[in-house]
Amino acid sequence: VSGRAGNFSGKALVFGSILAALVLVGAYLAAGGSSYEPEKVQDPCQPRPWSNPQSLGQIANQFTISALDGAACQLGVTRETLALALTTPERREAFEKRYGIDDEKLAKAIRAGLLRAVDDAEEAGALSPLIAVPLRQTLQRIPLEQAIEIINDAQGFLSDAEGFLGPAQGVLEQLLPGGLEGLGLP
Amino acid sequence: VAALALAVGLVLADSSIVVLALPEIYRELDTSVSGVTWVLVSFNLVIALAAVPAALVARRLGPARTAAVGLAVFAGAGLACGLADELSTLIVARCVQALGGAAAVTASLELLPATVGSERRAATVWAAAGATGAALGPAVGGLLTELVSWQSIFLLQVPLALVAAVPILTVARHEAATRVIEEEVRRTGRPHLWANLALAMVSAAIAAALFLLVLLLIEGWRLSPIEAAAVVSAMPLAAILGSRLTERAGEARSRAAAGAILVSGGLAGLAFLPKATVALTLPPQILVGVGLALVLSALTETALGGRAPQAIHGGWTISSRHAGVVIGLLLLTPIFTADIEQQRHDAIDAGTAVILDSPVNPLLKIDLAEKVSERLGEERGKVPTIGAAFEPKPSDPGQRSEVEQLQSELQDQLDRGATHAFSTSFLLAALLGLIALFPIALSRRVEL
Repeated sequence: VSGRAGNFSGKALVFGSILAALVLVGAYLAAGGSSYEPEKVQDPCQPRPWSNPQSLGQIANQFTISALDGAACQLGVTRETLALALTTPERREAFEKRYGIDDEKLAKAIRAGLLRAVDDAEEAGALSPLIAVPLRQTLQRIPLEQAIEIINDAQGFLSDAEGFLGPAQGVLEQLLPGGLEGLGLP
Repeated sequence: VAALALAVGLVLADSSIVVLALPEIYRELDTSVSGVTWVLVSFNLVIALAAVPAALVARRLGPARTAAVGLAVFAGAGLACGLADELSTLIVARCVQALGGAAAVTASLELLPATVGSERRAATVWAAAGATGAALGPAVGGLLTELVSWQSIFLLQVPLALVAAVPILTVARHEAATRVIEEEVRRTGRPHLWANLALAMVSAAIAAALFLLVLLLIEGWRLSPIEAAAVVSAMPLAAILGSRLTERAGEARSRAAAGAILVSGGLAGLAFLPKATVALTLPPQILVGVGLALVLSALTETALGGRAPQAIHGGWTISSRHAGVVIGLLLLTPIFTADIEQQRHDAIDAGTAVILDSPVNPLLKIDLAEKVSERLGEERGKVPTIGAAFEPKPSDPGQRSEVEQLQSELQDQLDRGATHAFSTSFLLAALLGLIALFPIALSRRVEL
């Protein structure tokens, strides 16, 4: 075996290299180098608690998510996949082909999702039973295109529903002992 | 000496010079990641197969003549590469270029001892020219790709190869063919198995390091080729530092072991990057650079030491190194392309989840989710800047701030996801470097 005589020994060089490699890897691991986890996609069938919405915009936000969760759970897909499928007719067609879901099945699932959203909103005190009851009856018969429109524009839908109740509001205030506030209207 | 060093540097730079141009070739020639990898693989594979036969031809026909012809073929094929408008043409031209390159490099090693005075000095000049070319290749390739085009990388090689060929050609005129191949094969001792095996493994790890890092910088973090070239220059600069260390360090086997450990450590560091930040790639690159200088020179020295003729044993080292590059690329390409594809799916889901869970107006968020997923889908594997999907921003200051926060959160998710997609491949490359320790432990420089 031959080799050049050096200023420092081979052993020192090898140990120095091991040390340098361990320090680097250790430092990167300590700084979170192995902690990356992609954003988890949640199970749409699990309940997603509402976080005390204050404005109509916030209620609409939660309403949309609940509706998507409900529909996605029934179809056995993720909420994210369904949300993207509903954005354009082309994506919807691709989604229906890929998962073998026809319009009827999709409409049924979206109606179920919207009903879950009404239930969740009512449970969270964000929607009065006075609005929830007629909403449920309307949503049970709503055509597919309109159901998709409601998911895409929940705020407009809820605003319309509230507006519909507007003229009756004064009468109800007088008839009900605690007024509408007692029913949890936003 | 300058012409020979230029010839060796030019050919050995060629296996790495196109690395930074690959993303551009990939898009311009409308191919896949696996397809574009063959621009590198084909060149390295042909060099690996042709190096030893080319050395035998050099011994038979005369090294100067072989080197001059090799350089001419290299230049002609370079021109064809520069004019190629299809991937298949480019790959075929690269194969021919590799044939010429193999002849030029191995014949140069045969010519060098007479030019510099000793076989040892010749081996040093040869190894240094090759290492310099390989180290500078990516940076030069990145500069040319960004400033001119990927084609310019090959077109520039044409005059450089011809410049190197002219002085060699004058020597060739006085050269006579003297030996026959059969006699040559009989006279040549066996190649140094362990040193060459270790060279192959370490080269696989180093090639993977460079290739993966460039893809991470350009495709993952959206750096331009010139920016990526500046970043990966840390590796050759560290290699220069490492070569100084080589002169002061102990025996070849220790240097080789230390180098392999540093290369593996650097690759493991790249696998565990805590953030998608360029600065954090520098310490691992320094380790890989110093490591490659130590291990390549020590193993080449061991493989060539006391063995003659130099051209043939040099051919074996060239063959091992390039075979290693091929193995590294073929082994890791399917793994990281699958990881990148998986990351793209995860990114679309994660991006949509982040947008849906955000407090942004529902009407706006559905629109954003669609635009972001569109951007992720259309960038063909490249992690996109998603800024365009967020334009125009809402005029309401509250909503505007929510949208900006969402954009930044989403981009961070995408960048971290892209970084993570390369982790398994970097770790496997690190493992290759560590496995090289076994043949290194068994390698002994044998004086024949």
